Amino acid sequence: MFHFVDQILELDPGRHALGIKRVTSGDTFVRPNAGGVATLLSCIIGEALGQLGAWSVMVGKDFTVRPVAGVVGEVAITGEAAVGDSVLLDTTIDSVTDDAVFYHATASVDGATVLRLENTLGPLLPMEQFNDPNEMRERLARIQQSGDSAGDLQTGEGTAAPFDLSFDEILSFESCKEAAAVRTLSGSEAFLKDHFPRKPVLPLSLLLESLLQLGQKLLEDDGSLYVPTGAQKVKMSRFVEPGSSLVAKVQVIERNAENALLNFRCEVDGGRVCVGEAEYSTVAWGSS
Amino acid sequence: MNTDTIYPKVREIIADVLAFDVDEIQRDGSLVDDYSAESIDFLDLVYQLEREFKIKIPRGMIEQEARRGVGDEDFEEHGRLTKKGLEHLKEYLSEVPKDRFTPRMQVSLIPTLFTPETFCKIVLREMEGGGQAASD
Repeated sequence: MFHFVDQILELDPGRHALGIKRVTSGDTFVRPNAGGVATLLSCIIGEALGQLGAWSVMVGKDFTVRPVAGVVGEVAITGEAAVGDSVLLDTTIDSVTDDAVFYHATASVDGATVLRLENTLGPLLPMEQFNDPNEMRERLARIQQSGDSAGDLQTGEGTAAPFDLSFDEILSFESCKEAAAVRTLSGSEAFLKDHFPRKPVLPLSLLLESLLQLGQKLLEDDGSLYVPTGAQKVKMSRFVEPGSSLVAKVQVIERNAENALLNFRCEVDGGRVCVGEAEYSTVAWGSS
Repeated sequence: MNTDTIYPKVREIIADVLAFDVDEIQRDGSLVDDYSAESIDFLDLVYQLEREFKIKIPRGMIEQEARRGVGDEDFEEHGRLTKKGLEHLKEYLSEVPKDRFTPRMQVSLIPTLFTPETFCKIVLREMEGGGQAASD
């Protein structure tokens, strides 16, 4: 399952939406953090915020179009969501035009913000190319029913084949400076069934998570410890389809005792697919 | 106010959106051919300009305004510019070096002509009252 809004609490079409993502032990995208606590991958929280905004836009546009990932001006990772937590998702649409949606969003757990998205832009594309509009309407009806456990709850389905976030091969690695890696999308990845049924493509959220982890490996190669604290100017310019080999390059721009900044660029067949910057800190959230 | 006034800020935004250093952005450079701008970059750029200058840039306005005063059949034929359409476009995009216009060019390739100055003109028009000023 690649649906992360378990319940919609409020929906103002084309303007705002409030929803919930419950983190369960059966979630495909739960991983132990540095302290061994099972937490939901940060980029999946971002994905949930984007999906909530997408519901608001799709309803506002009567399911004729759907947003896809485009630009994220800033992702700020300020905390974590552990198994058992309910993540409150709050997405505000700044504007919707014929061809794009612009929004910002906040995810929180027990009143504390765990992730923010700012200056986010999603191109609007014809729904028919990606999903069956009727199926989307039915899914929305389910998750709008309060307490309906048949909604987008992860019911253990993902435990069978967790998504491997690593790249297939490291092409080059210069400790604490730069690295390049390649990953080929095989087409059998479970998330492709939902993202999207009529046009399977690699989600930006998973790509970003992979890049953050590759960057972390690069930074920690000398024994230092860094945690990702966000990303900025992230831009997805093309779809990555099954069979595509994605080459990612990450490069350290700044690295000191407190923080690090990396930039990344991903290409398929030499064409730009995704660019952006990733930020890290040596201090974990809440311990400063 | 003229485009010189807003060019520094427009240039800075273009450099940021296209991930270039400001110094590398030339006022008459082609955003597509020289700076590898793709459709997502144009969406991003328009949004950033709207935010910065507190304006609304109607989507597709350049092409719509270039067509103003010319019937569809006079402007294009089977998706390609007619001679009259080309002349009209050259006049409208007067900031674009003339050698970049090609006879019977595809209408879908019009965005490849856009330069930083094109966006300065658009911003200025919207700041001064929108499409009305564009027909002057």
